[in-house]
Amino acid sequence: MAKRIINNIKLGAFVAGGLLFLILLLYMIGKNRSLFGATYVLKARFEHVQGLVAGNNVRYAGIEVGTVKKISILNDTLIEVTLLVDKNMKNIIRRNAIVSIGTEGFVGNKVVNIIPSKQPGSLAVDGDLLVTKKAIDTDELLQTLSKTNQDVAVIAAELKITAQRLNNSSNGLWQLLNDASIPQQVKASVGNIRAAAVKANEMVSSLNIIITDVKNGKGSAGMILRDSAFANNLTDAVSKIKNAGTGADSLAAQITNIVNGIRNDINNGKGPAHAILRDSAMVQKLNSSLYNIQKGTDNFNQNMEALKHSIFLRGYFRKLEKQKMEGQNKK
Amino acid sequence: MNESLAITRFLNEAGETSHFIARFFRQWFKPRFELSEFTRQCFVIGYKSLPLVGLTAFIMGLVLTMQLRPSMIDYGVESQLPAIVGIAIVREIGPVITALIFAGKIGSSIGAELGSMKVTEQIDAMEVSGTNPFKYLVVTRVLAATLMLPVLVLLGDAISLYGSYLGVNIRGNTSFVFFWKQVLDNLSFSDVLPAFIKSFFFGFAVGIIGCYKGYNSSKGTEGVGRSANSAVVISSVLVFILDLIAVQVTDLLNLY
Repeated sequence: MAKRIINNIKLGAFVAGGLLFLILLLYMIGKNRSLFGATYVLKARFEHVQGLVAGNNVRYAGIEVGTVKKISILNDTLIEVTLLVDKNMKNIIRRNAIVSIGTEGFVGNKVVNIIPSKQPGSLAVDGDLLVTKKAIDTDELLQTLSKTNQDVAVIAAELKITAQRLNNSSNGLWQLLNDASIPQQVKASVGNIRAAAVKANEMVSSLNIIITDVKNGKGSAGMILRDSAFANNLTDAVSKIKNAGTGADSLAAQITNIVNGIRNDINNGKGPAHAILRDSAMVQKLNSSLYNIQKGTDNFNQNMEALKHSIFLRGYFRKLEKQKMEGQNKK
Repeated sequence: MNESLAITRFLNEAGETSHFIARFFRQWFKPRFELSEFTRQCFVIGYKSLPLVGLTAFIMGLVLTMQLRPSMIDYGVESQLPAIVGIAIVREIGPVITALIFAGKIGSSIGAELGSMKVTEQIDAMEVSGTNPFKYLVVTRVLAATLMLPVLVLLGDAISLYGSYLGVNIRGNTSFVFFWKQVLDNLSFSDVLPAFIKSFFFGFAVGIIGCYKGYNSSKGTEGVGRSANSAVVISSVLVFILDLIAVQVTDLLNLY
């Protein structure tokens, strides 16, 4: 009989152990699903839930605070996700918190992230609809990545061509790059530029001084720009020059008239000029006359030489020479 | 000719078994419940099976974890080892392995016990002395098997998961609390409850086939051995058939 009781106790412990494990298992699962404990409901609307299912976790700033209760389709572009959130979060989640769908790791389960906004806002109450943010879809990510890859491939191909060209231009750029003297030259150039800049600076300062002088009316330029009397004079002078110009104009007109008259005379055979320029017989005559004159002049020269050597006039010429010599000595 | 004979024999067996099951249910609801015999049977069938079930479950958990590890490392999801082992054990390996061990131990013992009672005409003697032998022998054993197997499965799961925890820690390093959190995070009611419910059916199948084979054994001591043997074989096959039906039902009910 005593053995029977012991056996019964063992049996009871065995069954209790099994049931305890079952209850523990179910309780822990239920706790994970937020089935026990006080919760409240928040809602969010998405265009695309990316495979989110009921039972996925809800995180607030990375901490698990609840689960997805239900996903329902409102219309063809809008899906409403009902979140079951721990009641303790009622004093924390605000109405302007942003809800997005993320992934645990890169290929893990989907999660709903509630991200607090930095702006102040009122606390969210049961049934509130929170603002959502479109999450980065893995598909879109991959598509963008593929496009980027293609671009990179194109760029790489062009870069390759450029590099090949650089390599092939053996005496151009490479020489330039390999030339050791270039840095020194560049350094010298930079030094020159610096010196030039210093000089330019000096120039500018002296220019500055001149300008201030001019402003203050010093110097001729200053007087030109500042002295009003001088300006009046200048105006007078300019008007006089203008008058002179007008006079010159009329003079030029008269001269033109005269020249025209002369030209007419010349062309029409009146007067001596015409005879000179147009009459060939006259030219011969003139030539012979000029020849005669040359001859006469030669003779005259001989006469003058003779005069110099004549007794009566030699004294005068000597005097002239003396005066000339003295002039040279003085210099 | 031979085939048709085999078919008629099989159908005859199936019909006889169905009659036996119907008789069990009729007798079950009739008063005079053999409570003390039931608890004794529970002790023998359930408690006494625990060391064997525990050992196999522990080894299964440990070995499964160690076998899965290289593939998990290949896929780069070594950290998910507790999750996948937990799901495998709770959903499938725990119930089925425990039920098979249970069929081997309990199915054969029931078949041999009742068979020897039958061939030594103890059952007939019981009937003469005014005790309902079906109630006293069959109902208590089948009920005990039906109710004890789920408990064994649950304890087996627990031991198996502990073995898995040790398996994870042979090469890796995971705290016990984190291991359990990872296991439980990835389990859902649809993992635990179908497995729990189907283990009742497994236990019932093992108990009822063992009793049927023993209760209908004949041809002396040779028949006892044959009934014990066929009890184990048929109940093991039935466990797999029931498992197939269970997975179809859970799939139809969208419990995944």
